[in-house]
Amino acid sequence: MSNEESRKTGANRWSYREGTIVTAAILLLGFALQAASGGTVLRIAGFPWNLLAGLVFVGLLILVFVLWPKHSIVKGLGSVKAALPAILGFTFLVLLMGFVKQDVEPKNAVVELLGLTHLVKTWPFMLINLYLMILLGIITLKRLTPFNFKNAGFFLNHFGLFLVLFSTTLGSIDMQRLTMNCYENQPESHAVDPSGKMIEMPFSIKLVNFSIDEFRPKVTIVDNKSGQIVLSKGKAQLEMIDRDSFSISSYHIKVEQFLESSGKAGDLYTAINESGSAPSAKVTVNNPTDKSEISGWIFSGSYSHPPEILQLNESFSLAMLPPEPRKFSSELNIQTKTGKNRSTTIEVNRPYSIEGWTIYQTNYNTQMGRWSNLSVLELVRDPWLPFVYLGIFLMMFGAAFLFITGKPKNGGTEHVA
Amino acid sequence: MEEQNMWLDFPMYASAAFVCWLAASGLFLSSGKKMLNQLAAGLSFAGTAFLLVFITVLWIHIQRPPMRTLGETRLWYAIFLSGIGLVSYLRWKYKWLVSYSLGLAMVFLIINLQHPETYDKTLMPALQSPWFIPHVIVYIFAYAMLGASSLVALRNLFFAPTEKTIKGPIQMADNLVYLGFSFLTLGLLFGALWAKDAWGHYWTWDPKETWAFITWMFYLVYIHYRFRHANEHKKAMAVLAVSFAVLLICWFGVNYLPSAENSVHVYSE
Ligand code: HEM
Repeated sequence: MSNEESRKTGANRWSYREGTIVTAAILLLGFALQAASGGTVLRIAGFPWNLLAGLVFVGLLILVFVLWPKHSIVKGLGSVKAALPAILGFTFLVLLMGFVKQDVEPKNAVVELLGLTHLVKTWPFMLINLYLMILLGIITLKRLTPFNFKNAGFFLNHFGLFLVLFSTTLGSIDMQRLTMNCYENQPESHAVDPSGKMIEMPFSIKLVNFSIDEFRPKVTIVDNKSGQIVLSKGKAQLEMIDRDSFSISSYHIKVEQFLESSGKAGDLYTAINESGSAPSAKVTVNNPTDKSEISGWIFSGSYSHPPEILQLNESFSLAMLPPEPRKFSSELNIQTKTGKNRSTTIEVNRPYSIEGWTIYQTNYNTQMGRWSNLSVLELVRDPWLPFVYLGIFLMMFGAAFLFITGKPKNGGTEHVA
Repeated sequence: MEEQNMWLDFPMYASAAFVCWLAASGLFLSSGKKMLNQLAAGLSFAGTAFLLVFITVLWIHIQRPPMRTLGETRLWYAIFLSGIGLVSYLRWKYKWLVSYSLGLAMVFLIINLQHPETYDKTLMPALQSPWFIPHVIVYIFAYAMLGASSLVALRNLFFAPTEKTIKGPIQMADNLVYLGFSFLTLGLLFGALWAKDAWGHYWTWDPKETWAFITWMFYLVYIHYRFRHANEHKKAMAVLAVSFAVLLICWFGVNYLPSAENSVHVYSE
């Protein structure tokens, strides 16, 4: 019951009513401020002001806790009666994000005014975050004094989350995400930010080589009239050419010859490896229903050569789709202003870090595919990352504690400390 | 090798598992004898083992972790549900729970038998990461645990009408939630670390991420509510039932939400 706690501690007057009122007030205030600011995107001050604000915040939190540890407001903020409404209030905002598509142009005036399409950068989101940090800060301090090792799991979970919220909120402004277009053998030292502003980097990057490792292409049946892939039970029938024979729909396909990289020479395809070459295969297609047999070449096509399909009958043809990338990677040579020279190869999931920047492989000229001479890199600087990671690791250990120790004994009615 | 041909063997393994589990549930529900219960436990393990063999062979043949298509996910779900059912039986001796879990696992098998999908072999580069396997396994494990906890919740809501008879089973719900929630947290955090490696940012509020987070928040509410209100059993069970509904939206529904167009996570099927 809601008076369970008050019975035990006597003086505590904070109940769900207060907790709910505070959370609701914060949300209302937030949306009011958001509307009053004309629906602008909220930005906090960058380094060193954010660091200063963070230190002041933590200092105040500790001060308040040390001066009035028994005050009913401090106790109230450190109780589940504040925590539950706050968590639900935050969940409410995240639910809004779950239903309203984010980072798009607002559809109507209300959505725009309340900032519903970019909620993470609005007043209500910031304020509820701040409130959660206050709650987490206070309960962490509460459980730390007096120190008891039994509270380790509690500390890891709550302080870990505090650290994650703290460092992502303050750090969001210091994070830079830039895009750099690198063409083969042309050193590049400029990147653009999301608003299109050109930024000079402390290094220059030369793309030595861009390469794509491809899966074997897939073949499918297309409709001669529409040129569209034929669907069966709502699904495309795709088969990868990695065997000597297979079936699609009722057709039986035998692969006579497969060329990984090829070009057309007269009526047939031969293995070559130059810009614009692509996979091809010589196939024999058997149709058991009318006992027909057709033989010929199919070619996936590339930016410079048209694809070739094999007509099976009046209605349908066999086509080879462009191969999908298994992996794409860029061989880079990086020259820093401080005189360092590094050679490295990056690929998706394998970024490279240098001088506080991390370089990610993101894209290439998809029209040219394997023959692209352009590699699109993302350059990210995130000085607060170590704190975010520390928070994440604390929470991971906290999760391990939940797993190992399970629910606190005696039904959780008593404090563990 | 041929992925589709691999799945041609699936009905064989699936029916073997099905028969074992059916017999196990029957024994669990009907008998009171210790020896028959042990036999039931053995049978339920055998069923799981058949699927484990199948998934191992499949994994070797398709040369990528079988954790991508819905069909493959259902397979893991069946394996973990039956496994957890058995472990929870060995640990707490709730026979109805193991039968429930086996029943659910059988449902997943039937769905897979009826919808043999075309199983795609290609895996886009962003998914080729050492984080992939731990991320997905941890999530499926969490979902299986939390799914089982919701079964307990529903049973408590409808079949345990007095506050007295609810006490024991509610402890089981708590145990399952704590285990499931710890895995849910790990899944979320693994996902964040992976996203940092693949996309340069640990959290982008992509619709799938958003809904995973919402799910997490609901179970967080349950944990805190239970901590402070140890005797409000019915309300706690209601929270748990709602949480599971949210989890289901996250798992199945996100693909259909308007906010999820172009989500990086909507890749299966
Ligand atoms: C979102 C912000 C959160 C708030 C405001 C919050 C608040 C609280 C409060 C006030 C208590 C009761 C403490 C007491 O009365 O002594 C509590 C207990 C608890 N919280 Fe949280 N919490 C939050 C997040 C979390 C997270 C992320 C986890 C787990 C990953 C978690 C797990 C627990 C557990 C397991 C308890 C039970 C106490 C114990 O194990 O010692 N909480 N929380």
